[in-house]
Amino acid sequence: MKSLNGFKPLAMILPGLLLAMFIIGYPVLDLANTSLQEVSRFGQLRGFTGFDNFAEVFSDPLFWGSLKRTAIWTVTVVLGTLVISLPIAIILNDDFYGRGVARVIIMLPWAISLTMTAVVWRWALNGRAGLLNATLMDMGIMTEPIEWLAEAQLAFTVEMMIGILVSIPFTTTIFLGGLSSLPQDSYEASMVDGATRWDQFRYITLPLMKPFINIAIVLNVIYVFNSLPIIWVMTEGGPANGTDILVTYLYKLAFRFGQLGKASAISLIMFGVLLLFTVIYVVLVMRDEKDTAAGEDE
Amino acid sequence: MPSKLKKSLIYWAFLSPLVVVILFPFAVMLVTAVRPRDELFVYPPRWGFSEFRWDNFAEMWVKTNFGEALFNSLYVSVLSTVLALVLSIPAAYALSRYPFPGKGAYRTFLLMTQMMSPIVLVLGLFRLMVALGMVGNLNSLVLTYAAFNMAFTIWMLQSYFSTIPRDLEEAAWIDGASHLNSLIRIFLPLAVPAMAVTAIFSFINGWNEFVLALTMIRSSDDFTLPVQIYSQVAGRYQVEWHHVMAGTVLATVPVAIVFSWLQKYLIRGMALGAVK
Repeated sequence: MKSLNGFKPLAMILPGLLLAMFIIGYPVLDLANTSLQEVSRFGQLRGFTGFDNFAEVFSDPLFWGSLKRTAIWTVTVVLGTLVISLPIAIILNDDFYGRGVARVIIMLPWAISLTMTAVVWRWALNGRAGLLNATLMDMGIMTEPIEWLAEAQLAFTVEMMIGILVSIPFTTTIFLGGLSSLPQDSYEASMVDGATRWDQFRYITLPLMKPFINIAIVLNVIYVFNSLPIIWVMTEGGPANGTDILVTYLYKLAFRFGQLGKASAISLIMFGVLLLFTVIYVVLVMRDEKDTAAGEDE
Repeated sequence: MPSKLKKSLIYWAFLSPLVVVILFPFAVMLVTAVRPRDELFVYPPRWGFSEFRWDNFAEMWVKTNFGEALFNSLYVSVLSTVLALVLSIPAAYALSRYPFPGKGAYRTFLLMTQMMSPIVLVLGLFRLMVALGMVGNLNSLVLTYAAFNMAFTIWMLQSYFSTIPRDLEEAAWIDGASHLNSLIRIFLPLAVPAMAVTAIFSFINGWNEFVLALTMIRSSDDFTLPVQIYSQVAGRYQVEWHHVMAGTVLATVPVAIVFSWLQKYLIRGMALGAVK
C-alpha cells in the first residue's frame, strides 16, 4: 500500500481532471488562436492578422459603452448586495419568532433560475398591464402606467435592482457562516464595558467579519460580472445597446452578428479580467486556510 | 418573554420590504398563470381577475410542448450530475484521505475552475462542440455541465468526506478487510447523505442553466425548460403570458421547495469547505 501512496490518488483525480482540462482548456486555447486570425462569419479561420481583432475592439464605441456599463453594473450590484446582506445576516443570526420562515424566504431567489426570474419580472414590469404598475397605481403612488423597460436608463436601473435581489441569498449565506464563527465572549465582555450595539457592530463584528466580506466581494464581482440572463431576457441589451454589458455584447457579436474574431478578442479580454479576480480569490482563500490551519494546529 | 417579542417585531419590520419584493414575482407568477386569457391586458392594470382558469396549465402543456422540454431538462440534469459525481467521488476521496504530489496545485486548479464561467468561454465551447459534431445534441450539455460543475461537487464532497472519521476504515483494515471492501462497506454508507446533497445541487445547477443551452441547442424539440420558456417570450409580438407564467410555475416551484428544504446543507458545506 505504501508504494501506491503517490500513484493511487493521482489515478483517482485523473479522469475528472482530464474532462475539466479538455472542456475548459480547449475553448481557451481555441479562443486565443481565433482572436489572432481573420474569421469568416461561418467560423472559418483565414490566417493570422496579428492583433487586428483587438485593435478593432478597442476602436469600437459600443465596446467602451458596454465596458462602462459593466463597471457600473458590477460595482452597483455588488455594493448594494453587501450593504443589504450584512444587516440581514446579523438579524437572521439572532434568535427571533419566525426566523425559520424568514430564512427560507430570504433564500428563495437563489432557488430559481435567473432566466425564470427575469421572465417573470419582464411580465411584472410590462408597460401596459404589468402588475408592478397595478400595485403602484392601487397604492396611489402614480396615476399612469410606466413603461419600465422602454428607456435604457430606467431599464438598466431596474435590472441592477433585480441583480441585487438575486445576489442577496448567496451573500447572506456567506455572512451567516462568518457570524456563526464569531467568539461570543468578546460580545459579553463588551457588554460589561457598557458598549452599545452600534459599538459592538463597529468594533467587533465588522473587523472580525472582514475576511468574509472580502470573499463575498470577490465572489460577487465574479458572478455579477459574468451574469447574462437578467439583462438578456429583460431587454437583450437594448434599447439601442443602452443596457448592453460586456457579456451581452459578446453574445450578440458571436451569435447574432457573426463577428467571431472580435468576439474571441472580447472573450479573451474578459477571461483575463476574470483570471485576475480569481487569483485574488484564491489568494484570499489560501491565506484564510493557512490562518485556520495554524489556529487549529492541523 | 416580551423583549423577544419586541425584537421579533422590529426585525420583521426591517425585513418586510425585502420579503415583499422577494415574494412579489411569485405572486405575479401565480396570479397570471390562472388568469383567463382576455384578462391579461386590461386597463387600468389590476391584480384581480374573474375566475381561476386551471385549464391554463393543461393548455400550456400541450401548446408549448412542455412535456418534451421537461424531459430534456431532466435528461441533461440527471446525466450531467451522474457524470460529475462518478468523476468527483474518487477525486474527493483522494483529496480528503491521501497526501499526493501536486495536491496544492490541484486544489488551486479546482478553485480556479470553480470561478470560470461558461459565458466567457461560450464561443470557444461552441466551436469545440462544432469540432466534435455535437451541436444540437443534448449530450454536449451533459459534458459541459459536468465539467463546469465538478469543481463545486469535488469541493462539497471532500469537505464532507473530511468529517467522516478515518479510524473506522483503519479499524476495518486491521480486522483484515481489503481496502476496496472497507471503502464499499464502511465509507460509502456514511458518505451517502453527502453525495445525495451534492447531487441535488448539481442537478439544480443543470436545471437552471441558460446560456449554454441557448447556444448549443438549435431545434425546439431539444430545448431545455429555461430556453423553452425564454423562446415563448423573446422576439414575439404576441406573448401568451398566462402560458409562460404557468410554465414558470411548473418549472420553478418544485425545485424551489427542494432547495428550501436542503439549503442548510449547502450553507454547511460552504462553511466547511469552499468559503471557509
